Amino acid sequence: MTPLCLMEDVRKTFRMGDDAVEVLKGIDLEIVPGEFAAIMGTSGSGKSTLMNLIGCLDVPTSGRYLLAGREVLGLQDDDLSVLRNAHIGFVFQSFYLLPYATVLENVLLPTLYREKTVAHTEERAVELLRLIGLEARMRFRPNRLSGGEQQRVAICRALMNDPELLLADEPTGQLDSKTAAEIMNLLAKMNERGKTVIVVTHDPAIAACAKRIIRIKDGVIVDEQAA
Amino acid sequence: MKRIFLNLKIALGSLGNFKLRTALATLGVVFGTFSLVVVGNLSDSLALKTEQEIANLGNNLIIVVSGQVRRHGPSTPLISRATNLTPGDAEAIANNLPAAARAAPSGFKAFPVRRGNTVLKAIAVNGVTPDFGEVRNFEIAAGTPITEEDNRLQRKVALIGSATAEKLFGEENPIGKTILIWRVPCQIIGVMAEKGADIAGNDQDNQIFVPLKTFLRNFVNQENVNIIYVQAVSVEAIEPLRKEIEALLRVRHGIRKEMKDDFTVLDLKEVTALKSQAMGLISVLGRIAAAASFLIGALGILSIMILIVNERRVEIGIRRAVGSRKRDIILQFLLESSFISVSGGIIGMAAGFLMSLAIAKVLGYPATVSVPGLLLAFAASALSGIVAGIYPSFKATQIHPVDIIRS
Ligand SMILES: Nc1ncnc2c1ncn2[C@@H]1O[C@H](COP(=O)(O)OP(=O)(O)O)[C@@H](O)[C@H]1O
Ligand SMILES: [Mg+2]
Repeated sequence: MTPLCLMEDVRKTFRMGDDAVEVLKGIDLEIVPGEFAAIMGTSGSGKSTLMNLIGCLDVPTSGRYLLAGREVLGLQDDDLSVLRNAHIGFVFQSFYLLPYATVLENVLLPTLYREKTVAHTEERAVELLRLIGLEARMRFRPNRLSGGEQQRVAICRALMNDPELLLADEPTGQLDSKTAAEIMNLLAKMNERGKTVIVVTHDPAIAACAKRIIRIKDGVIVDEQAA
Repeated sequence: MKRIFLNLKIALGSLGNFKLRTALATLGVVFGTFSLVVVGNLSDSLALKTEQEIANLGNNLIIVVSGQVRRHGPSTPLISRATNLTPGDAEAIANNLPAAARAAPSGFKAFPVRRGNTVLKAIAVNGVTPDFGEVRNFEIAAGTPITEEDNRLQRKVALIGSATAEKLFGEENPIGKTILIWRVPCQIIGVMAEKGADIAGNDQDNQIFVPLKTFLRNFVNQENVNIIYVQAVSVEAIEPLRKEIEALLRVRHGIRKEMKDDFTVLDLKEVTALKSQAMGLISVLGRIAAAASFLIGALGILSIMILIVNERRVEIGIRRAVGSRKRDIILQFLLESSFISVSGGIIGMAAGFLMSLAIAKVLGYPATVSVPGLLLAFAASALSGIVAGIYPSFKATQIHPVDIIRS
């Protein structure tokens, strides 16, 4: 099977004034379609940096990165935007819903930037909200929802453009363990429905939900195991 | 379309946090469109008013005044007197110049008028011929006009203006009654239709008309008239006819080559020129004020947009993450800034609209709507919004999703 993500000797260096800090020091990684992987590591180990590269929010300093067979290095900013819009859904630790838009409008946000207009957009958004049980509150502002509910809305937003890859960076970081479990169940359900899911976490209990665990330490992958 | 609507809704939600600041920021644009609309509407009003006034004076009218007058503005101060403009000159113009349809000689002077115990101190009394009404666009509301016979027989009859009739008779019917003009008892044969103020602002409804010969013999005891109103056969005939009249009168008055005219042929365009000049100056000042306002407005909107962009860093970052390109962000914020300025602009346009209506009403001008003025105001407000939005929207594109997620 052709990998969805293929990284070869990916490095990322951040410049801070005169200092250059190499955060990722040669990552080789292959993610195939349908995987449910967890990237684990202590705080500061480079998980989020790696996640941002996988999600095309940022580009590697060197190395090779193919997303769905396409070389990412060297793409223009606009091309990266188009790529993210069509292929990647993001879920973040702080849900980042727009406060002045309704729940439904938040879910619709990625459709505003689609290259092609698609029919029945709104129906699909409502359908997704029904799936997570928040259909009745789609006209609410996000601040009227609990943290877990907001994160579920964020997941709907990530799914809205039907991307192959769902990336979640510490998606349960702000939630209690019961709600966290619900969110992980939802992600697992999406994986069952064919989405490739990558979760970043420092929490072993969360990582345990995934089928594959990738451990990272000081910018290198130290251990890989099937869960 | 949906996207614009949703984006505007989000923008409004965020603007709600800075209501006062946004209102202050748009003030410049409000004043800008306000002054553009006021100036536009009023100068149109004035142009229309002038046109109406000229038409009101008489169709294709040329005015020949005795003596030299300064030809500037609505007032026509005398520079030198002359006493040789006569009814005969008027006849010569009417009979010898084909371009002249009619010529109405007229003399006038103010006299006290009395009826019973009512005394009006100084009412303009005009000696006129039967052609006067046609040439000067005066109509009779009730009664009969002054006839050739009235004039020939020097009858002591009078037509009175509607305001004069009101003052002397109130609700009573003046026709057939006798009034004392100066010391001449005259019978009223008719009342003039209302006409309003003339181009110099004189009330044309408060005056009296008597046959010219009656006037010359019984009131002023002279042979000459103050003025001859000439009606040209067409608008195109006015200019050539002016020259012909000048040449004819110079011959009739025996004026030698090197000598100046002892009469003045007035051009109505000159009469209105001063008014237009004044309005032109006001227009220019208004436009300068508007330009300054738009500049201030643009700066205000610039500052509020910088504030907004900062407030919405997370929103921008997340939009970028879900796939908005830089140009989408630029477009969004340009739209927002022009939306803010156009909103202010529309408020200013509405206020300016009402203001110009009020001013026109006070000045007695016809109310007009200057469509180019409105369009200019709209365009200027949209433009200042766009210009003000350029820098902030560029700043917005510098916000990177990665920075947002990290903080
Ligand atoms: N944009 C950046 N500029 C400078 N340093 C950065 C930047 N992003 C991440 N880092 C540094 O890289 C290291 C790894 O960060 P991160 O990937 O967020 O770790 P994790 O998500 O595993 O906690 C940290 O030391 C962090 O300070
Ligand atoms: Mg992290």
